Amino acid sequence: MLETGLILRALARNKIGALLIALQIALTLAIMVNAIFMILERQQQMQRASGLDEANSFYLTNTIFAQDYNIISHLQTDLHTIRNTPGVIDAVQINAVPLSGSGWSMALQHQPGEDKDAIGAAIYLVDEHGINSLGLTLIAGTNFSQADVEIRQDGQSTWPSKTIITQAFAESLYPDDWQAAIGNTVYISQHQPMQIIGVVKALQAPWNGWNGVERSMLVPFHRASKGSYYYIRTEPGQRDRLMPIIEKALAESDKERIIRRVTTVEETRARSYQQHNASNKILITVVITLTLITGFGIVGLAIFSINRRVKQIGTRRALGATKGQIMRYFMLENFLISSIGVTLGCIGAIALNIWLVNTFNFAPIGVELIAFGVIALFIVGQLAVLYPARKAALIPPASATRTV
Amino acid sequence: MLEMNNINKIFQTADIQTHALRDFCLHVNEGEFVSVTGPSGSGKTTFLNIAGLLETYSSGEFLLDGKDVGKLNDNGRSRLRNEKIGFIFQGFNLIPDLNLYDNVDVPLRYRGFNSKERKRRIEENLERVGLATRMKHLPSQLSGGQQQRVAIARALATSPRFLLADEPTGNLDSEMAQGVMALLEEINQQGTTIIMVTHDAQLAARAKRTIQVKDGQVNEQQSAPILNKQAIA
Repeated sequence: MLETGLILRALARNKIGALLIALQIALTLAIMVNAIFMILERQQQMQRASGLDEANSFYLTNTIFAQDYNIISHLQTDLHTIRNTPGVIDAVQINAVPLSGSGWSMALQHQPGEDKDAIGAAIYLVDEHGINSLGLTLIAGTNFSQADVEIRQDGQSTWPSKTIITQAFAESLYPDDWQAAIGNTVYISQHQPMQIIGVVKALQAPWNGWNGVERSMLVPFHRASKGSYYYIRTEPGQRDRLMPIIEKALAESDKERIIRRVTTVEETRARSYQQHNASNKILITVVITLTLITGFGIVGLAIFSINRRVKQIGTRRALGATKGQIMRYFMLENFLISSIGVTLGCIGAIALNIWLVNTFNFAPIGVELIAFGVIALFIVGQLAVLYPARKAALIPPASATRTV
Repeated sequence: MLEMNNINKIFQTADIQTHALRDFCLHVNEGEFVSVTGPSGSGKTTFLNIAGLLETYSSGEFLLDGKDVGKLNDNGRSRLRNEKIGFIFQGFNLIPDLNLYDNVDVPLRYRGFNSKERKRRIEENLERVGLATRMKHLPSQLSGGQQQRVAIARALATSPRFLLADEPTGNLDSEMAQGVMALLEEINQQGTTIIMVTHDAQLAARAKRTIQVKDGQVNEQQSAPILNKQAIA
């Protein structure tokens, strides 16, 4: 028969130790639930698809130092060389690399004019090979043609008349029906018209922490710039073999520029989320440490309580308690202390989350996560008390008659 | 009812074997009031622990109400203890955090009685020891004699066949001790068998039978009337 009432009444008369453990459980729950929430949010961010064929892509920088250098002519030669290297699927000159942390952004608006609402997006300057080179999926409309691609000089402020945007960007521009974007004219730099000719499924911006990271647009430009990226996509398994080959081929074909920073997109992703990973590791360490401290606290309190009550436990055994009943007593006692702790902890977790939402614009915490925390701490409590409870059950009934 | 035949209890340490009981034989019949005396270290407490199923024995035969105790496992001994034996300890062994009602409730819960039955037994037995009005008091709010009365109520609540009392008046002054003894005699007269370990020859003499334990064996058995007369004289 469960001794819930007896245990509660006994705890009420001897409450300091139990209350301290309950508060520790409450604090652990409040911090644990919010920390796990942050960890999961970051992991969700890290798992978002960039839209790229990351495993088979790399890029490098092409920096021209020569004077009187025909940039566009050399660009065509370079792209021809790369695209015709066996194992390469496609290559493109690009102004920025997704997730690299560095890039350009522009805003599009439905109506021309200075005071009109505009929605910002990352902008990638590519040619008609852009979609294939990046490994994007065109889900509506058409790709650029060779004729669409214009030459862009450094400092130029005019834009081509066509663009391809991501589905997320189309949904922002046309919330009712993103497919309505196709064929529509929008305005860049407040006044310049631009027709949306295609929509790609996904392409992330260079900045992973930006709340518009899924909004990107492609613009058909070749840059006549002395510094640019070549983005190369290879056949599966060929990337690592081709990286030094292409670097060497480009470097040897033209001595008036430097080929540097040959980097895989996977490395870029890892670097991009370095802080996320580090923060998650710290938070996981905090959660584990707190949980262990709570577990050890429970073990400590239980052992102290058992050592203090050896004669009482012996008496209970003498009065007919089985070993199982003694174990159950301590497990139930812990369960009741944990119940007080998790009740306070739930209130604390929600209060902490409200503060985080108001202060740092966090999302509200889910009930299921609080439920997980509650169950986890009940399990930790029961596991922690298992050894002391077993120790208590082994106290011989003859302890009742010992005078010392 | 209680039958011990050639019970031996050996405590084994790394180098030393200690014979706490040697070929210990004792038969106690229903309704008896037996006191067990003997010097310190004679084996009285070991006998009481074995009789109360608190300890196992090394060899011999122990029948309790016809049941061979040696064949029971730990759970079986716990159940038999709860059903057949009531304990009264020298230090009362009440649970300090529980009030009198809850203290008496402890063995009843182990038996699995429903709450109505438990309430009836608790009230009846606290009434029997004269403490019905103090059910909500904590043990610390009572005198030693009153605490021992609570312990007696707790022992009686499960309607045991035996009461095993370990120096039940050892921590009480003589007036309180007399009161507790009178209560034990009354309980015995109502049919409960009592085995009481005591140092006090006068109290021991009030039992119907006295046995003296020495060196782990029953040294001498005497019937009470002679001792009682000596005590009175």
